[in-house]
Amino acid sequence: MCECCNNHKNDIYLPQLATITKRRMLNGTELYLHLEMDSGKDLEYSPGQFVEVSVAGIGEGPISISSSPTQKGLELVIRNVGSLTRVIHKLEVGGKLGIRGPYGSTYPVEQAKGKDLVFICGGIGLVPQRSFIRYALDHRNDYGKIIVLIGTKCYTMRLFREEIALWQQRKDMTVMETIDEAHDCWDGNVGVVTTLIPKIESDLPSSLVMICGPPVMYKFVLMALAEAEVPEDRIYVNLERRMKCGVGKCGHCQINEKYVCQEGPVFRYSDLALVPEAI
Amino acid sequence: MSVLKFTREQFENFVSAMVKSGQSVMAPQAKNGRFAFGPLQSAADLRLDYDVTILPPKKYVLPQTQTLLEFEVGGAFRSVDSSQPMILLGVHPYDVAAISQMDELFSQDQYDKHYMDRRCKMTIVALDVVTPSENVFASSMGTATVRKGYDLLLTVLKDGSVLAEAATEKGQQLLKLAGSSTPASEADLSARKAIWESNEKNLDKHVLKCKPSYLPKLLDHSYEHAVWEEMARLCYSCGSCNQVCPTCYCFDVQDFVNWDLKTGRRQRCWDGCLLENFATVAGNHNFRKDRAARYRHRLYRKGKYVPGKIGGQIACVGCGRCITACTAKIANPVEVYNRLMEDTELG
Amino acid sequence: MSKPRVAIFDFACCEGCQLQIVNLEEEILDLINLVDVVEWREAMSEQSHDYDIAIIEGSITRPEDEKRVLLIRSRAKILIALGACAATGGVNKLKNNFDMKEVRQCVYGKDADLPHLDTYPTKAVDEIVEVDYKIHGCPIENSEFARVIRALLLGKRPMVPDYPVCVECKAKENVCRWEYGETCLGPIIRAGCGARCPTAGFRCFGCRGYVDNPNVEAAREVMAKYNLTEEDLKTRMVLFGSKQGPTL
Repeated sequence: MCECCNNHKNDIYLPQLATITKRRMLNGTELYLHLEMDSGKDLEYSPGQFVEVSVAGIGEGPISISSSPTQKGLELVIRNVGSLTRVIHKLEVGGKLGIRGPYGSTYPVEQAKGKDLVFICGGIGLVPQRSFIRYALDHRNDYGKIIVLIGTKCYTMRLFREEIALWQQRKDMTVMETIDEAHDCWDGNVGVVTTLIPKIESDLPSSLVMICGPPVMYKFVLMALAEAEVPEDRIYVNLERRMKCGVGKCGHCQINEKYVCQEGPVFRYSDLALVPEAI
Repeated sequence: MSVLKFTREQFENFVSAMVKSGQSVMAPQAKNGRFAFGPLQSAADLRLDYDVTILPPKKYVLPQTQTLLEFEVGGAFRSVDSSQPMILLGVHPYDVAAISQMDELFSQDQYDKHYMDRRCKMTIVALDVVTPSENVFASSMGTATVRKGYDLLLTVLKDGSVLAEAATEKGQQLLKLAGSSTPASEADLSARKAIWESNEKNLDKHVLKCKPSYLPKLLDHSYEHAVWEEMARLCYSCGSCNQVCPTCYCFDVQDFVNWDLKTGRRQRCWDGCLLENFATVAGNHNFRKDRAARYRHRLYRKGKYVPGKIGGQIACVGCGRCITACTAKIANPVEVYNRLMEDTELG
Repeated sequence: MSKPRVAIFDFACCEGCQLQIVNLEEEILDLINLVDVVEWREAMSEQSHDYDIAIIEGSITRPEDEKRVLLIRSRAKILIALGACAATGGVNKLKNNFDMKEVRQCVYGKDADLPHLDTYPTKAVDEIVEVDYKIHGCPIENSEFARVIRALLLGKRPMVPDYPVCVECKAKENVCRWEYGETCLGPIIRAGCGARCPTAGFRCFGCRGYVDNPNVEAAREVMAKYNLTEEDLKTRMVLFGSKQGPTL
């Protein structure tokens, strides 16, 4: 037989097992998980990447990594939206998940050095952004200002409340939060996340801006950034698509010629000029 | 390498030897008035004169459903190897070209062993087209004949004799199964050349008005063209064009459990970008909701996106299967590309 | 963990879909290993009001049926509509094309006015109560039934195809029925049957109901391409597709 058969190549579809070491609900639908790989070896990943998460018998789906490579283990936040995630929500500490990856592109952690970072997060868009935020905080001297804007639909849906409270106490970063609908327990900003953009105290055009949120959010945030004269090559968007295989084969995540699972999920916005399906 | 000549009878003996070799032999046979690749039981069932098969032979390199993994529910996975030696006999040049493209797509970057293991155990016997099908346009796509991508090439001459030329070690091994034959004469080789020249001109039931290599550029300027809406208005989103396409390779992956609810398998199965929920994510957001956007995506994949991954080769090989398979009669790539050509020239 | 309790009920139907469950043969034993069947008129004499999963075969055609369905729904955690009659109304909806009095007279003649033969326009189960899952087909595919049940027992949402029969028909490498000049309904009908009829040499009759978003407008125009009329298409659709959402 030919040479390639003898190569014993790895199976790119074969998940490795990981064990749930911590779990808690962040709100009514979002579950936080801390995982450790059964191999004992941490995954080597960069902020912005995702993993394919499996429960054998139920299925597999792409989940963005929320932890920073500077910390131990792997943190995921999983919204209860389908069969797979419903079953994952029922797993306890000690439960097993299959993990493939990490896959996809990363935030520009190197190019961003020395620059101000602005994170614009809508809803669970905070989840992958948190990876870079934590990474930047762990390499605090490498970066300029760190500004985080967080928009959430309603008060009860807010994520990582304790962590955000700690961020807000820090002198070396700015965190602004808003909720779309007013709530009795909330005395902060009310309105969509774009309303926070004019409040940014940084030279926006020279900052790097990272955006992640629901599909509908991008257009409005990008419009506001264009108005603030942020160059498109300083904007990074993190896109969600149906990244079924994660390895550029199955075709489901394609936006025009780009496979989000390989060239994304993090794109420099200027690279999407000829990709009308992106935003 | 030398070219051998088989009389009709000698060739049948060769095919019989393949059938008896223990490898499965998949070959074109008659099916309800048309043709389909299937397991060959007897040399007499082989139809060298077939025009086109309903499905392309991709069903052997990328089966409709293929088990990738087995698992214990909620536990560990095991990789499954479903590959076995197989002779793909009588593959037309356009289908050879399509398989070559898929080889590249499945081996590049992330090596897909489930595809490649099957592929590597396969011997491809190409066959020059004897009878052009009703919708073939391989002449336009440069795939009416091929010079690579196969292990053995067969050409049927007018008198029914068959020329065979091995292109690889595997092809030579296969020829060892053959009984008697004679070396092809100069005249035979000229006859073969004439057939090639004829096919390169005459597999032309539809004629593309530009070189295929121009398609990516053409599509650069055609994204907002009215043709997408006009054609897709009649689209059923049935994915027939995807299913019968020799270069469509998108797939879905699903888990199936056994009655014990403890064990099961993860399978991939053919999917199609024309189907309504192809780009729908959990939570039900559909990123390609419009029929027209899905319709356009297929023709962009063929003419621009996939070529970008495989060195510019156009991912439409001109087999014409989609034209036949489309109930609404809107799938003809040549019709669409020509329309774009005309309008671009006008503009 | 105790086994989920399953009850099977029938309304206006031929009970052929329940027969399809029986036709699982040895696999029935696998099924019984996983669930307790507590009520099933066709196969056992016991009755129970205590069940987790209710499976309903048949359409709703009388006011008193409606009350029974509401009761079943209130007792069941999961409600499955089994087969075309329950899932879409199926063949039973043919009668909705007529006046009910006319229907009764046609079927029962001089007895038509007897009170126990009262009838009203056919409804699918989900026109009365919320249905969690539908198993389509006339009859159902028992392999699909088995797959749905196993998925539910794992806590997984069973995959119900939302693509046309053509997908499975092409995968089977059938010659398209339209090539034979037949008005096959495959392009607008939900798959899941493995293109059973076209594979056996018949056109698709549409027993699994329409896909969620059938291109009915296209169907109209495509008929003209085959020198057929809208009327030709309507007559093919009336058997299983009468008075269902997206008809012509």
